[in-house]
Amino acid sequence: MGLFLWLTPLLAALLSIIIKKTKLLHAVSILSATTLLFLAGYATVAVTANGTLQYPWFWNLFYIDALSVILLDIVAVISLFVSVHAVGYLNGELRQGTLRESKIRLFYLLMHTFLFTMVLALTVNNLGILWIAIEGTTLASTFLVGFHNDKHTLEAAWKYVIICSVGIAVALVGIIFLHLSSVDLIDPNRALQWTVLYQNAEHLNSPVLRLSFLFILIGFGTKAGLAPMHTWLPDAHSQAPSPISALLSGVLLNSALYSVIRVLSIVNKNLGDSHFTGRIMIGFGVLSIAVAALFILTQRDYKRLLAYSSIEHMGVITLAMGIFTPISIFAGLYHMINHSLTKSMLFLASGNILQKYGTRNITGVRGLAKVLPVSGTAFFLGLFAISGAPPFSIFASEISVFLSAFAEGRPLLGAVVILLLAAVFAGIAAALFRIFFGEAPDSCKPGETNLPGAIVLILMLILISVSGLYLPAPVKELLTSAQEIIAWNGTI
Amino acid sequence: MMDSYFDILSALILLSSFLLMSHKRIKSYIKTFRIQSSLIALTAGIMGMDSLIREGSFDILIVCVIIVLLKVIYIPRLLHRTYGTVEYKVEKDFYLNIPLLILICCGLVVFAYFSVSNIGSLDGAHLNLQVVNSLSVILIGFFFMISRKKAIGQMIGFLVIENGIFVTAFFSTHGMPFVVDIGIFIDMITAILIMGVMVTRINEKFESINLDKLKNLKG
Repeated sequence: MGLFLWLTPLLAALLSIIIKKTKLLHAVSILSATTLLFLAGYATVAVTANGTLQYPWFWNLFYIDALSVILLDIVAVISLFVSVHAVGYLNGELRQGTLRESKIRLFYLLMHTFLFTMVLALTVNNLGILWIAIEGTTLASTFLVGFHNDKHTLEAAWKYVIICSVGIAVALVGIIFLHLSSVDLIDPNRALQWTVLYQNAEHLNSPVLRLSFLFILIGFGTKAGLAPMHTWLPDAHSQAPSPISALLSGVLLNSALYSVIRVLSIVNKNLGDSHFTGRIMIGFGVLSIAVAALFILTQRDYKRLLAYSSIEHMGVITLAMGIFTPISIFAGLYHMINHSLTKSMLFLASGNILQKYGTRNITGVRGLAKVLPVSGTAFFLGLFAISGAPPFSIFASEISVFLSAFAEGRPLLGAVVILLLAAVFAGIAAALFRIFFGEAPDSCKPGETNLPGAIVLILMLILISVSGLYLPAPVKELLTSAQEIIAWNGTI
Repeated sequence: MMDSYFDILSALILLSSFLLMSHKRIKSYIKTFRIQSSLIALTAGIMGMDSLIREGSFDILIVCVIIVLLKVIYIPRLLHRTYGTVEYKVEKDFYLNIPLLILICCGLVVFAYFSVSNIGSLDGAHLNLQVVNSLSVILIGFFFMISRKKAIGQMIGFLVIENGIFVTAFFSTHGMPFVVDIGIFIDMITAILIMGVMVTRINEKFESINLDKLKNLKG
């Protein structure tokens, strides 16, 4: 069954090359995403029952545990939402004449390859293959970022491929050092396997491992959009077609952080505490939140604003992992889920707005509540959610991160971060809440154009509202076992 | 005996990246890259023969053949072709002058030396020297990327970084596991193909491959 997790998106990508009819392409895409969701559900059940899901074929390559299954579920859920929304979005682009029908095949080919690389990253045991998959995500999504092929998107795509490839190259140096730290200890056939490294973590060569962590954090941190390596992120997120922005922000950034977390757990287990990694992670986390707050306060482009908000939330998660107490790790993982759902909903809604108004400029959008009743409402409430207002789920996880900072005896850290987030909230409120009122420009006829997209938005809105008030017991259990994997048996 | 060969090779690979830094024209970049890749292929060949005799494993030799096909033959050709399609006026390609660039590169080698020698547990003087040299190649690759304005210069810088990483892996751990090596090759060739297409498109839209012109997205 596990193998189908890889085959489904690959098959969909292959079919996208062959099939010529647009309607059939849409159907294949949705079918593949549904299958993926079903398979992820199967993996979740298996992991809940047995703790892990692995197979002996391909050098024990396939490996899923509670940590990876959470991220895998996020990928599956969001890819289904995105592929339903993409149907309406692409049809809208066709109607407006900004897209030729022949390019839809390319879109789906790249999108499913992109999904494949992300699923691969989350289901392998070998850290070398994990690296290859993460580099693969960059390569698969480069042309998606540059999909419209004009000056702006080309610039964004060039920045994206160069900065991320070079960043990831740094992570490869880190992986070589990780290999070096274990070279006399582990059987060469099992080299770089996460499970083996984790089991033998205490015996690895600590100085080399420390160096390795630095390289890996910088490398994968570039891909996760941590400041000061974030410069590609606002460009890529704002220039990509909106369904792709949703995937980049909701899924890709998580996969990159996931790679850091995998190594983090080995390093902390080796060193016996989180002093070394904690300081660095907290530093990057706070810097990312601060940089994002600064740019959000002065932002004029709503898609870029959402992109900077992604940097902020990656900062919050990094911070939580840096504090490294059971509560903060739990909150960090929970925050990953919440951020992904909320942010991809916002990006999907922003796609509908962009198609309607034809501008990314905040000042160009007025009277959204009347023009786009569903997308507008989703955007409005989503912005409240993303800036951390109750009762949405982001509020719940964000507050747990701060509380854990205070509980750890770092009141100053907690206070600074709360202050920065207040700035973010103010920035979003000042910039965006205006756009819902006022008179709409005459060129905009009221009414939703992307019906499947509107349904998706309603579903996502329900999801993020409900999960803020009530967390089902199985999800909680899964999060707890993931947290125990990261912080070996919950002891620091 | 083996180690002294590798010492010399690692020093030559480092020297080739200095050479790269001192060139002014894109054609000479490509030539130097080809020389550097040949040296790496030679290193892999020697190590591969050694492991074939000792353990009877062909893995490293296969990697060596792939390096020759990919980095010595295919990628330089691809770069020449890309370079041929983008017409450009002869203009200065770097921000600082060459003697200064070389001086900074020397500084990078010293920096690499100090960083590695601080890790006490990397055993053996030989290993240290080789790792210092190959880490310096990576650093010079980074520096090359930021010192050139043209898109092709950045591609070459990326390739030099990749070369540096490859030799670091070779000298410190006798290469990555075989599957991982193959995967890295696939990624690398895809990356270069994609960048090549992007360079052509940038040239079409901006009528230059000077990256100073990519300044529309800010804030």
